[in-house]
Formats: sequence, structure tokens, C-alpha cells
Amino acid sequence: MTVHNLYLFDRNGVCLHYSEWHRKKQAGIPKEEEYKLMYGMLFSIRSFVSKMSPLDMKDGFLAFQTSRYKLHYYETPTGIKVVMNTDLGVGPIRDVLHHIYSALYVELVVKNPLCSLGQPVQSELFRSRLDSYVRSLPFFSARAG
Amino acid sequence: MADTVLFEFLHTEMVAELWAADLHPGPGGQKTSLSVLEGIGFRVGQALGERLPRETLAFKEELDVLKFLCKDLWVAVFQKQMDGLRTNHQGTYILQDNNFPLLVPMASGLQYLEEAPKFLAFTCGLLCGTLRTLGVQSLVTASVTTLPACRFQVVILKS
Repeated sequence: MTVHNLYLFDRNGVCLHYSEWHRKKQAGIPKEEEYKLMYGMLFSIRSFVSKMSPLDMKDGFLAFQTSRYKLHYYETPTGIKVVMNTDLGVGPIRDVLHHIYSALYVELVVKNPLCSLGQPVQSELFRSRLDSYVRSLPFFSARAG
Repeated sequence: MADTVLFEFLHTEMVAELWAADLHPGPGGQKTSLSVLEGIGFRVGQALGERLPRETLAFKEELDVLKFLCKDLWVAVFQKQMDGLRTNHQGTYILQDNNFPLLVPMASGLQYLEEAPKFLAFTCGLLCGTLRTLGVQSLVTASVTTLPACRFQVVILKS
């Protein structure tokens, strides 16, 4: 069980942060293109899910999975999107993604007077705390599963 | 918990506003911004110095005033006590805070070191103003070696 990578987007589609831990295959396109692709896809899936839902929507789009990986999605009312790719053994991790938002992003980026919002995050503290938090998760193992 | 956040955000905006107003930040401009921040802190400190102390006869000597700053003032403003107080017994005091709340979200180490003094100017003024109301004239400076630890140096001015 492992975490492959993590993206953090703001409401305008700016990729605020990207970290990877185990990624064997790259996308084959430049990073900027990759972020735009990810954001555009999420935007489309969200509106698709809300339109085509046969019942009233509760939480909206949560995750999708393929035969190799699972993509987890969490969005805040302010439009901050946390996207984490893990392997298939991992269940719902909404609380983990919420923790990344509230205890890491809000505490270390929003409250940091030197981090301007809407720009990729420069704070080393944020990067290192996020890294150690993800490594401490029960479903993260150092060897790619 | 919401209370501390209000002050932190307000303080962040104060620093940002005074820095943004200075489009040609030469050394003179920066000094003005720092002294404006210190002045604001000074007046807040003067008011807090009137309002906070509970017992009137508690301050028999200078050291008691400094202890009041480290305990009561720091707890009232930052919800924690100062971590260390040292003195040379000749009018200079060093107040050490290992986890200064205004610096904690910024970094844990050396990133943003040059920017840190801006965020200490208000607090220097705060200490100076509180001391003034309690009858002590002083000069307060701050320094940072590693975030979020910082130290405030208080030099008592003999009048």
C-alpha cells in the first residue's frame, strides 16, 4: 500500500504544490501541461457527476480507480482541491485530505505572511511537514507496493 | 482559538500594508516602515501596561517588571510564556522565545530569515510601550538566528 503522488490546486487552476513519492511512469508531457490536464479533467468530472447523478448529490466526486491506481479527490468551499494518487488497497481518505488542507495548507501557507495566495507554495516548512505527514500515514510504505 | 487568528491576520496585514506603501524601498524607507510599526506597538503596549497589571504594589524592582512582561504580557498577547529571561544585572535583559507565534507559520530553519525582522518590529514597540507605562524607559531590539526562535534585547535607559 502506498501513496504515489499529490497535487494541490487553487480555485483558478493554479497548481500550488506537487509532490511525488512513488511514480514509476511519468506522463510524457511537461509538468505544466500535466497540471492543466489534471485540473481540466477534475473540472469536467465534477460537472459530469453532478449532472448525471441519478440521486441528489451528497458529497459529489470522491475518487476514481483503474486496475493499477486510485485517485482520491477533496475540494473545499473555497475551491482548494487536494488530489492524491494511491494504490488500490487504500479506502476512503477524505479525512486525510482534509487534514492536509486544514492543518498544513491553512496553518503554514494561508497564515504565512510571506506566502502569497494564488502562487505555487515556496515555503520549505510546508513541503517538509507535508512530506513527513504523508510518510507517517498508515497506508504509506517505503517500498512501492 | 479564533481570537489568536484575528490578531495574527491583522498583524500580517499591517506589515504588508506598510511595506507595500513604500514603492521605492531604500534603506530610509524601510526604517520609516519599521518605526511606524514600532510606534503602533508602543501605543498598544502603553495601553496594555495600564490595563493588565492586577496588583499595584507587585513591582518592587526592575526584574519584577521584566518578569511581568515575560509571564503576564506574553500570555495575554501570545497565549504562552516567554521561554527564557537573562540579565547582566546592569540594565540589559535578553528575552528568549523559542517558538514565537508570529514566526511559527513561516518557517522552521533559515528560509525567510531576512524577512523576519519586519514581523518583530510591532512586538518590540509593544515591549517598549508597556515598560514605559510601568515607569521604565528602555530601548528594545530583536534578532532572529533560526525561525521560529527569536530574542528581544531590552536595554534600560537611566534617566
